[in-house]
Amino acid sequence: MRISDKTASELSKMLRNKECSSVEICQDVFDKISENEDDIKAYVTLNKENAFETAKKADEGFGNGEDMPVLAGIPMSVKDNISTKGLRTTCSSKMLENYVPPFDATVVKNIEKNIVPVIGKTNMDEFAMGSSTETSYFQITKNPRNTECVPGGSSGGAAASVASKEAIVAIGSDTGGSIRQPAAFCGVVGLKPTYGSVSRYGLVAFASSLDQIGPIARSVEDTAILQDVISSYDTMDATSCDMPYGNLYRNLSENIKGLKIGIPSEYFGEGIDDEIKTNVMNTIKILEKNGAEIVDISLPSTKYAINTYYILASAEASSNLSRFDGVRYGFRAPEYKDLNDMYVKTRSQGFGDEVKRRIMLGTFVLSSGFYDAYYKKAKKTQQLIISEFNDAFKKCDIIATPTTPTTAFKIGANINDPIKMYYNDVCTVPVNIAGLPAVSMPCAYSSDKLPISIQFIGKHFDEQTILNAAYSLEKIIGNLC
Amino acid sequence: MNIDIKHISKLSRLEIEEDKIEKFSNDMQEIVKMVENLPEFDSVEEVLDKNYTMKLREDVAVTDKFKREELLANAPFVESGCIVVPKTVE
Repeated sequence: MRISDKTASELSKMLRNKECSSVEICQDVFDKISENEDDIKAYVTLNKENAFETAKKADEGFGNGEDMPVLAGIPMSVKDNISTKGLRTTCSSKMLENYVPPFDATVVKNIEKNIVPVIGKTNMDEFAMGSSTETSYFQITKNPRNTECVPGGSSGGAAASVASKEAIVAIGSDTGGSIRQPAAFCGVVGLKPTYGSVSRYGLVAFASSLDQIGPIARSVEDTAILQDVISSYDTMDATSCDMPYGNLYRNLSENIKGLKIGIPSEYFGEGIDDEIKTNVMNTIKILEKNGAEIVDISLPSTKYAINTYYILASAEASSNLSRFDGVRYGFRAPEYKDLNDMYVKTRSQGFGDEVKRRIMLGTFVLSSGFYDAYYKKAKKTQQLIISEFNDAFKKCDIIATPTTPTTAFKIGANINDPIKMYYNDVCTVPVNIAGLPAVSMPCAYSSDKLPISIQFIGKHFDEQTILNAAYSLEKIIGNLC
Repeated sequence: MNIDIKHISKLSRLEIEEDKIEKFSNDMQEIVKMVENLPEFDSVEEVLDKNYTMKLREDVAVTDKFKREELLANAPFVESGCIVVPKTVE
């Protein structure tokens, strides 16, 4: 077993026992990158020099016997839509190909405070719009479990970096499933935190009311450790909630006696592969045998979730992406007649097709004469979806569903059919619409050896209960990452 | 619902290449058809999240300081410390 095969919690202990150094861990991770990256293509930009500098700093701290943070010295990757001062942040778009942020995102500041080496910036669907990482301007990331398959998206590079051991942990972002779906496809753990628990300051905005940064890791423990590091109250994000954060890891418990797990029939219906349904249901039965109580619940408006999501997310995207005009930063078209032509040429040459589709859908649903029928109605449907979750949580503590309707699909299989691609998010978008936390973890492997994942959805700010359920399951069935 | 791609792309400050217009139009029609299916509502109640209202920060000056060069470093076209854009006033 190589050093990069270990989890953050194992490495954290090894660092304290002087069984290895942070520089050694970083070296092995970079060795993995040289061995695999030509195949996997998880990274857009590497940050080798700075990563080793931070690793040395961590080693000094350990050497001096200082009280070091749990994650200190453990190399991580950062999704390329999270601003890193002095390190290119492209959103995998031609529009930001050469953009170097003059500031750090709040999560990056939190990472720095914890002396965590940043290995590099990971590939993603352009501006986080996609479910396969195929819309990246730069490269197509491959799924480390089967390189003919997509890693999922939009945080496909992040999930692939963790699954291929090219990072120990990663941070991604999740607007409609962009952490959980790639985590599921690559067979790792991914958490979409409650909206408001992780600062969005410095996250390049896609759909501001739905976006949330979160951790991807190779164990539930590691996921909790990283979430403790990145969650914080931040005055730079008006939607950040002032709550106590940082105790998830310490309070992890594998006791699920009496835990009420709600099973919504809508998530086990048409469109979900039989093999996934069977394996997720079997996993739920295992939890029942170990003391959990199973409750049937209903979330009837789930059928509207995809529609609601694409209206709201695209509306916000069309507004957020209007900032890319070729004036202050980013790409500017080389030739244009006047100011308006500069905007049009810059945006037409700088954005890929999927981004254009979403901007146009958003512009349409917000345009005069259509606003009430689309945007306003979608906002009301959002309330309906939220109230159904609230009612469901009166009967249960957490909700269990599959994370994805299928296992990882082949590269190229869905890229020319936007609607088919959108339905990948059918089990994950309701969580973003309601602002809830949800964790995805592998619970079985399919007949063709691809990971199948279960999703636990929790109440607002109750990451602890879903992580405890996941932790307990990991203890019972073993770590399948 | 027939959507006017030319009009929407103009509002979006985008132009779609001639050879892509047909595929784009078809995709957009399909997407709009997909999102159209939403429930009917009787109430005219506005939507507000009453549980987690946003917290506004104190109205004090932010002390983060950026150097002019830092902020201009990403601008595509700079001259004499200013961003250059095409002439807008005759």
